[in-house]
Amino acid sequence: MTCSRETIESFLDDELDASARVQVESHLAECGACSELLGRLSEQQAQIRLLPYYRASDRLRGAVRARLRKERPRREWMRWGALAAAVLLVVAATWMWRRGAERNLIAQEIVSSHVRSLMGEHLVDVPSSDRHTVKPWFNGKLDFSPEVKDLATEGFPLIGGRVDYVGGRRVAVLVYGKDKHTINLYLWPTAEDGGGSTFSQNGYSVLHWTRNGMSAWAISDLPPSELERFRNLL
Amino acid sequence: MLPHLDAAHNLARWLTGNGHDAEDVVQEAYLRAYRFFDGFHGGDGRAWVLTVVRNTFLTWRRREERSRSTVPLDEEKHVVELVASDAGDTEALTGCIEALPPEFREILVLREFEEMPYRQIAEVAGLPQGTVMSRLSRARQRLEDCVRKKMRAAR
Repeated sequence: MTCSRETIESFLDDELDASARVQVESHLAECGACSELLGRLSEQQAQIRLLPYYRASDRLRGAVRARLRKERPRREWMRWGALAAAVLLVVAATWMWRRGAERNLIAQEIVSSHVRSLMGEHLVDVPSSDRHTVKPWFNGKLDFSPEVKDLATEGFPLIGGRVDYVGGRRVAVLVYGKDKHTINLYLWPTAEDGGGSTFSQNGYSVLHWTRNGMSAWAISDLPPSELERFRNLL
Repeated sequence: MLPHLDAAHNLARWLTGNGHDAEDVVQEAYLRAYRFFDGFHGGDGRAWVLTVVRNTFLTWRRREERSRSTVPLDEEKHVVELVASDAGDTEALTGCIEALPPEFREILVLREFEEMPYRQIAEVAGLPQGTVMSRLSRARQRLEDCVRKKMRAAR
């Protein structure tokens, strides 16, 4: 066999299997260079192993223990925190989903109501361009009083008002014109705040917003940008 | 309660070269080991703890080097040790081990103090077994040369 340093070190470190050990042992008996190398290596190994083994002091032991003890509540807290966050997320997601579903349902009703109103039967109960006629007309028909504005000078003349039934309640509807287009503006009180959306449904532009405790839905066959201009005037 | 703390401290002490830094590394390593205990999938507990100590040391050294951003630790130490070469055998050997690059030193410590087989050293250091063998061999040769030089200089 060849006398390699690697083999001698593996022998020293007890990394050889039994048959390889035997081979090396017999080789060492005849090879002076190899046994000399092994001698030097084991001498070095013995000297290193005489060097201090740095045990942990009691002070370090105490310090580590103290830090881990401080860590434990944190870990516990993190676990409960994660659980609470997950539950909250599910609740929030469900709530938002339900809210979204409810809103879609209302949007669908608004579209149907808008289409019905334009079929010629029942656009307005009180045909008037005078807001001082329209606003009092709602008295006694609703449990709230909608704000009525005339936007004739801005190009959206008031056509009149009616009472309609949306989302399981009576709501105020103000009807405005814009050239040959009709805008139905649905109003009813809400506890919700904020939120708003613009979307198209069945080719109609629909705008939803809440302001001053009122939920408002505007719908028309106008382009969304015109409807937004209308909302900003209100 | 705190398993393998002596082994952890011994490794950290040899790697950092001083008691104060070694204690810092050990404390941080145990904190890490505790936080990431999920990373321990059975097997040899000592090897796992020493792996964490080694990795913590590497992070610590990078941070240390960045904050100094001058001479790397080991060269500095090398100079110091060559000056203090009038010491006896033990101190010469200690100085020479401390002067080894850390990637050689860690393997030597795991082999000679922890008496780990090559396979386990490879696991702790995250190296192939062949690399462990060649580094160990080079570490031993460097050590031999270093000690010989020191003894000659002392005479």
